[in-house]
Amino acid sequence: MLELTCVSTGYETANVIHDIDLTVAPGEIVALVGANGAGKSTLVKTISGLLALRAGTITLDGKRIDGLNARARVLAGVSLVPEGRQIFGGLTVLDNLRLGAYARRKDLDDARMKQRIDHVCERFPVLLQRLKEPAGNLSGGQQQMLAIARGLMAEPRILVLDEPSLGLAPVLVTEIFRLVASLRSEGRAILLSEQNARLSLAIADRGYVIENGRVTLAGTGKELLHNPEVAERYLGVGKGVNVADASHHQQMVDRLKEILAR
Amino acid sequence: MNLAIQIVIGGLLQGAVFAVIALGFSLVFRVTGVLNLSQGAFCVVGALVMYTIEVSWGWPTPVAAVAASLATAAFGLALGALCFVPAVPRLPTSSMLILTAGLLTLLQGVLLIGWSSQPYALPPFSGEAPVVLWGVRVPTQGFWIAGITVAVVVAMWFVVQRTTLGTALRACAENRVAARLMGIDVPRMTLLSFGMAVLIAAISGIAVAPITSLEFDTGGFFTNFGFIAVAIGGLGSFLGSVAGGLFLGVAEQLAAGYVSSLFANALALALLLMVLLWRPNGLFGGGAVRRTDVRDEQRIYHAIVRVQGRGGLVFAAAAVALVLVLPLLFPSAGILSSLVITGILYISVLGLDVLMGYAGQVSLGQAGFMAIGGYTASILAVTYGVSPLWGTVAGIVLSVAAAWVLSFVTLRLRGHYLALATLAFGLLIDSLTVGMVDTTGGPSGLAGIPAFSVGSIVFASPIAMYYLVVGIIIVLVLALYGAMRSGFGRALIAVRTDQTAAVALGVNVVRYKLAAFLISAALGSLSGSLYAFYFHFLAPEMVATPRSFEMIAMLVAGGEGTLVGSALGVALLTLLPTVFQPFALYKTLAEGLLLVLCFMWLPEGIFGFATVQLARWLRRGAPPATAAEKAMP
Repeated sequence: MLELTCVSTGYETANVIHDIDLTVAPGEIVALVGANGAGKSTLVKTISGLLALRAGTITLDGKRIDGLNARARVLAGVSLVPEGRQIFGGLTVLDNLRLGAYARRKDLDDARMKQRIDHVCERFPVLLQRLKEPAGNLSGGQQQMLAIARGLMAEPRILVLDEPSLGLAPVLVTEIFRLVASLRSEGRAILLSEQNARLSLAIADRGYVIENGRVTLAGTGKELLHNPEVAERYLGVGKGVNVADASHHQQMVDRLKEILAR
Repeated sequence: MNLAIQIVIGGLLQGAVFAVIALGFSLVFRVTGVLNLSQGAFCVVGALVMYTIEVSWGWPTPVAAVAASLATAAFGLALGALCFVPAVPRLPTSSMLILTAGLLTLLQGVLLIGWSSQPYALPPFSGEAPVVLWGVRVPTQGFWIAGITVAVVVAMWFVVQRTTLGTALRACAENRVAARLMGIDVPRMTLLSFGMAVLIAAISGIAVAPITSLEFDTGGFFTNFGFIAVAIGGLGSFLGSVAGGLFLGVAEQLAAGYVSSLFANALALALLLMVLLWRPNGLFGGGAVRRTDVRDEQRIYHAIVRVQGRGGLVFAAAAVALVLVLPLLFPSAGILSSLVITGILYISVLGLDVLMGYAGQVSLGQAGFMAIGGYTASILAVTYGVSPLWGTVAGIVLSVAAAWVLSFVTLRLRGHYLALATLAFGLLIDSLTVGMVDTTGGPSGLAGIPAFSVGSIVFASPIAMYYLVVGIIIVLVLALYGAMRSGFGRALIAVRTDQTAAVALGVNVVRYKLAAFLISAALGSLSGSLYAFYFHFLAPEMVATPRSFEMIAMLVAGGEGTLVGSALGVALLTLLPTVFQPFALYKTLAEGLLLVLCFMWLPEGIFGFATVQLARWLRRGAPPATAAEKAMP
C-alpha cells in the first residue's frame, strides 16, 4: 500500500536518509528500529510531508504522494502522530479531535462529526469523559492517547506513529502498545517508529533496522527479535548470549503477548 | 456630577477605540505570537480613505464606510502577504516586533505622501446635534462607536471561539507544526488573522474619525494606547483587551478633566509600568506566554562578521581618513550640517547597538535618553548658566539614573514586555517634554541654547563641531571595540545567544544586561546634549518616540552588532533627504521600507553584507571562515 523507493532526504547541507526502500501492506504493522539519530524521525517527517524529498518516490496505493503538501497527504490517507505528542494544550480535547478531521471538514456535518468522535473514542473512553477540558490538563498517557485519537479522526489508510512511548511510565507504555496493536484490526496499516525495539518488534508484523540513514536489516518482527545483532544493539542483550535461548527474553515476549491477548 | 458623567462617557468613547485596537493586537498575537505595532496605523488608513471617498468623491456615508473598510482590508491583506506572513516563520518574535514598527512607519509614510500632513475630521454619521439623556449631552456619534465596538467584539468572539475557522486559528497559535499536520494552511491563517485585525482597525478608525482629528502620524498614538490597553488587560485575552481599553479611556479622561492632560498621559504610562512590574500578564490575565527577552536564533551568526587581520586594519584606517577629509570634499553648508547630525545621531545609535546588537535586548525608548540629555544640558545652560560640558555630564548622570530606575522594571521583563516598558518610558518622556511648558518650553521648544564649549574653547562653527563629534566617536568606537573584544563583550554575546546557558556558565546575566542598558542610556544622553548645543534649539519632536524608531531603522539598515556599521544607516537616512530635497517628503516611507526590507532580505545590514563580500574577496582561495572565527570580534 505505502511504498518508498530509493528515498533520500536531509536538512540543508546534510543528507540524512540514503536510498531507503520500504513497503507497508494494508492491515500490517511495520516497525522502524534504530538508535537515536539514525534517521527514523526524518523518514517519518518525509512520509508525512513535513520535509521535502531529495530523491526517490513515495506512493500510496500506487499513486505518487511525494509531491503533495502535508494537507494533501492527510487527504490521501496518511496521518502522523508526531513525536512528543504535539497536542494543542490550550484547546479542549473536543477541539483537538475536531482539528484531527480538519482536512476533511467539508464531508462532515455536525452529526457525522459527533459520530466519528464517538467511534474513534470507543478505544479511548477516558477521552470521552474529558471532552470539554483543556487538553493540557490530561496526563502524559492520556495526551498520547489523544494524539493517536486525533490522528485517527482523519480516517487514515496508514497511521504513522513517531515515538509513541516517549516519556511515558513503563506501565503506560505497554498500554499504548496494546492500543496500537488493536488499531490494525480495521484493515488500517501502521508504521511505528520507536526506540523501544523490544515492544515494537513484538507487536510488528515486519520491521526495518535503520542505521546511519540506511536500511541495514529487514524481516518479520519475530526474525528481527531473534536476530543476535539486533538483540545486541537494540534489545540490550550482551554479546555471546544466544538470544533464541535466552529464557528471560522469551519471558518478556510471552508476557507482552499475554497483555496483548487480554 | 453631570460633569463627571460627561467625562466618563467621553472616556468610554475614547476607550472603545483603544479596546478595538487592543482586540486587533490580541487577535494577531494569539495566532502568530507577534505583537503587530502597525495596528494603529490601519485605523488612520481606514479613516482617511473614508474621507476621500465620502467627502472628496461625495459618496453616501454607508456606502463609503463599507468601501473604505474593504479597501483598507484589501490593502492590509496585500501588505500582510508581502511582508508579514513570509517573515513570521523566519524571524524571532522580537525582530517581528521591530518589523511591524517598520510597517507602522511605512504606513505613516504612505499617508504623508497621499494625504499630506494636515489634520482631517469626518462629519458625524447622524448629524452634529447631541442627544440629551437625563440631562447629559451625548454626541450621536457616541452611539455609533459603542454599537460598532460591541458588534466587532461579538463578531470576533463568535468567529474565534465558535467556528471551525476559529479553532484552526487558535490551533496555529498553539503549535504551528501540529497545525500543519492537521492539514491547516498555516500561512493562510496568519494572513487571515492579520487581515481581520486590519479590517476591525479600519472600522474603528472610521467610527472614531468624526470625534477626533486625524493626521498621517496619529496611527502611532493609536498603537501606543492600544498597546497600553492590551498590556493592562492582558495580551491575548479578548475580554481583557476590551476591559483594558475602556479602563484606560476612562482613567485618561478623568485625569485630564480633573488634573491636566499632561497628568493623564503620565498616569497612563505609569499605570502601564506598574502593571508590567506587578502583573505582567495583565490585570485580567491574558493567555500570553512569557518568551525569552533576547533576540535569538540564526540572525546573530549573520550579524557578527568582520574583515579579519590586516585587511581590516587597512580598511579601518582608510575609513578614518575618509571621515577626516569629508568636510573638505563637500564644503556645502547643507551637507556639512547633515554630516554633523549624522555623527551626533551615530553616538546614540552606537549605544543602541551595544544594547540591541550585542546584548540582544529590544529598546524602543532610546530617544527618551536623548531627550533627558538634551533638555538637562540645555535647561542648565539657558536658565542657570551652567557650562555645556558640565550640563552634558549632568544629563548623562540623570539618564543613567533614569535607566537604573527603569531597569527595576525592565530587568524583570522578557520579550514583548521589555519592548513595551522601554516604549512606555519613551512616551512618558515625550509627554513630559511637551507638557512641562514652564521648564521645557513645551511644544514650541527651548531656544537660545549656547554652542558647546570646553573651558574657553567654543565649538561654534559646524566644522568645529564636526571634528569634535568625530573625535568623540573615534574614542568611543575604540573603547567599545576593546570592551567587546574582552570578557565583557563575550558575556554580552553569551546573554544574547542563550540566556539560560549563560547563567549556567556563571555569567551574571542581570549585571551585564544592566551594564549594556546604562551604556546605551549614557550614549543616548551625550548625543541628545550635543544635538541641542549644535542646533541652539530643542523641541520635543526632535527627540521623541519616532526618533527611537528611526534609530532602530538606522541600526538595522547599517548592520547590528558591528559598532561601525550603523554609521552607514545613520548617514543614509540623514544625508539622503539633504542631498535630494524632494526626498524629504518620502523620508518616513523610506525609513519604514528600509527597516522592512532589511529585516526580510538583508538581516546583516549594509555593513554586514559589504564585509561578507569584502572578506570573501580578500581571502580568495583561502578556506571559508568557520562560525567560531566569525564570532570572534
